[in-house]
Amino acid sequence: MSYRRNSLIPALLILLAGSVSADDPNAVYEKGAQAMVSKDYASAIPLLQQAVQADPDNLRDASELRQAVLRQTLAAHPKSEGATADFDKDIAFFDQLTKAHPASANAYLNFGFAYVDKIPAAGSITQVIQANNALTEFTKSIELKPTWIALYTRGNSYLYWPKIFGRAGLGVADLEKAYEIQKKEPKKSYHVRVYISLGDGYWKTEKPDKAIEIWKEGAAAFPDSQGLKDRLAKKGDDLDKYINDVLDPNKRVDTDLKELWRTQ
Amino acid sequence: MRKAGQTGNPLTPAGLPALRTRVSAPRAARRAGNLAGACLICVALAVAAEQTIAQSWFQDVTNSAGVNARHSNRVFDNPYAKIMEGYTALGASATVADYDGDGYDDVFVTDSKLGGKNHLYHNNHNFTFTDVAEAAGVADSNDASDAVADSLWFDFNNDGKPDLFVVRFGHNQLFQNMGNGKFKDVSKQAGIDSYKNAITAIAFDYDRDGKLDLFVGAYFQPINIFKPESPRFFPESFETANNGGGVSVYHNNGDGTFTDVTEKVGLGTRDENGKFHRLSGWTLDLGHADADNDGFDDLYVACDFGTDHFFHNNGDGTFSDITEKAIGIDTKKGMNVDWGDFDNDGLLDIYVTNITDDYMREGNFLWHNNGNLTFSDVSRETGTAETGWGWGAKFFDYDNDGWLDIYVTNGWVSAGKDSYVPDVFKMVTTPNIDFADARNWPPMGDKSLSGYEKKKLFHNEKGQIFKDEARRHGVDSIRDGRGVAIADFDNDGRLDMFVANANGEPYLYRNTEPTSNHWVQFALEGTKSNKTAVGAQVRLKAGGMTRLQFISGGNSFAGQSSNRVHFGLGEVAKVDQIEVRWPAGEREVFSVPAVDKIQKIVEGSGKRK
Repeated sequence: MSYRRNSLIPALLILLAGSVSADDPNAVYEKGAQAMVSKDYASAIPLLQQAVQADPDNLRDASELRQAVLRQTLAAHPKSEGATADFDKDIAFFDQLTKAHPASANAYLNFGFAYVDKIPAAGSITQVIQANNALTEFTKSIELKPTWIALYTRGNSYLYWPKIFGRAGLGVADLEKAYEIQKKEPKKSYHVRVYISLGDGYWKTEKPDKAIEIWKEGAAAFPDSQGLKDRLAKKGDDLDKYINDVLDPNKRVDTDLKELWRTQ
Repeated sequence: MRKAGQTGNPLTPAGLPALRTRVSAPRAARRAGNLAGACLICVALAVAAEQTIAQSWFQDVTNSAGVNARHSNRVFDNPYAKIMEGYTALGASATVADYDGDGYDDVFVTDSKLGGKNHLYHNNHNFTFTDVAEAAGVADSNDASDAVADSLWFDFNNDGKPDLFVVRFGHNQLFQNMGNGKFKDVSKQAGIDSYKNAITAIAFDYDRDGKLDLFVGAYFQPINIFKPESPRFFPESFETANNGGGVSVYHNNGDGTFTDVTEKVGLGTRDENGKFHRLSGWTLDLGHADADNDGFDDLYVACDFGTDHFFHNNGDGTFSDITEKAIGIDTKKGMNVDWGDFDNDGLLDIYVTNITDDYMREGNFLWHNNGNLTFSDVSRETGTAETGWGWGAKFFDYDNDGWLDIYVTNGWVSAGKDSYVPDVFKMVTTPNIDFADARNWPPMGDKSLSGYEKKKLFHNEKGQIFKDEARRHGVDSIRDGRGVAIADFDNDGRLDMFVANANGEPYLYRNTEPTSNHWVQFALEGTKSNKTAVGAQVRLKAGGMTRLQFISGGNSFAGQSSNRVHFGLGEVAKVDQIEVRWPAGEREVFSVPAVDKIQKIVEGSGKRK
């Protein structure tokens, strides 16, 4: 709605964006970020795409681009989880990006997230296809650079798969590696995610004692974590239902990575 | 948002412990580290089981009634047979009619194997039945070129005697009821036997000319499914497939013949060049009723692998596709369509089953009728969303409390302990795979897919929420259910259930509900309208409430219920009046002298409104 009322503004922004030097992706990003603040996603998206193309390994720029795409389609389709065609355009963008920059680990990571973003809008079978595609891209990212975020992301993704696929064990393996990485780093707020997910992975792989142990360890480090409090307060079937609810593939997963750089 | 689905592993055969989430009593006890605890739990379970049996209101009388003939799936003999066997576990249907007019409902039950016989179970009036299919001439429908998928009773020649339509992969059959216990095959002269891989059929008078028209839904496109010339006959997509058999509409000419009017009535779309394209989805079920109370019945088309459709009857012999406005565009696996006013608001709602399992969480639709040709899915709010791999489902008031309950059959293939799910998802995630090519689909072999699922009996809690009472009443079998037919086989005012299972024996459940709830049933006869009054709406006023029922022409997957209109009345022992809106459009008011009776109502004998 807003961009229709102010139809001249996006045109000006695009002209301005065109005048920004390709050597200054941060400036382009800032303009895209400003457009996002004003919910002018139609302007933000091409600017952020430009920033990402100039700096494909920039986690922040690509994450914000995905958020712009997501917010735009949710705003346009308020009664649904967005239009699959909008997500497909984003996926195509990252497909081209990774082909042009095959050594950019974070580009693959965001490519995977683009598939994850589409999942709630898709039909049940397409959800599986998207989830599988996401894992493929996360794996490429890990092969290039086994970072904490890549390992956590892939490990957590495995937990959403129904048990019949036997992928929870793979998730635990990734999450244990992420856990080892974070133990060697200064404490960060987002580290709580690994405590939560690793415990969920242990629970899904029938290791309830280890699940409780890691959640307790996490609660000691992050006593305000509601997710950890909830898990430690429940038992048996209640806990099982809670974890299944959390890991329901139909629910939208928050793929906004802001926390990574805001806490650094 | 969707809630988490079933707990436990539905692919686990009965008797084996669930692998994951459902904590079995012994395992719970192990967790507690207390063997004594396990024993106590066992005792408690045994006591609970006894109480459950005592409270059961349905009695399995399949064997004593003599209706236990087993259904067998068709085994194909072609290069794709190993693949097809997993996708053609169909054809178990049960359809009810009083074919001989003796006042007791009979039931026709189909088989699908090569040479397999259908069964026409004549009601002996004492809850036993005699199979008279051979003598009646309706036993033989399964040959090398045809396999039975469904059946439908409808009075095509309007003589008051229900005729029998047998739906087949191949050529459909129409048997004229000769009135002497015999049926005559009139398929060819009727003009309804063109090759189709038909899977469902309903009949209603869409143009109000007093004759029942025929709507046939087909699953596969009309290729010879027994000897396919090409392997590309499987669904092209799991969510938007349009290479199925679609729907055909046959107008009843009134002289024993039918004319294909699919294009004329608008059941399809026109492209920008004006060319008409029939519906081509993978139809699994059709359901008709008057959604907007304008006197003309509308049509819901449930499709596998893609979007269901809603057609509004324009009242001029044509329909308009208003899917997007009415129900939106879905990508689910529609299996069943049944209409009923579950919340007693005077508008007919729709129940559609889809697939909900650990690996696919679609959820059913309970479409609440908003009264303006739009519907809202309230399945999650009402607790009717998750019923496994759903098949036939029926609205009916099993406890006569005045609120429509729902019975849901489910389960696809219950075989070995290994799951077929990883195989199919391996295919699904193969890049650039051609789903339409049957050769790309993995054979199912002895694996299970959404098998051993428990059926659901949803008790309607005053139109707000439904509570599953299947276990309590002993109707939670784990056979692969397909069709369900509801009828009061012993005329005692309590609705019984006949459940057809694929590759298995059926169930006949006798309702022994012990309450003193009152009821009334009406057997309607049209004069200006079609004689069996299909499409008639009956509004009953009693106890300060008005309730709506209608006569369906075969709604719900692989099942057809009694033609009689049944109302549960609860404790109300007096009916103020009923108003019948006949299919031809007239409205008449009738008095109801007594409850707990079956009353015959003839068009033209009431007080016109």
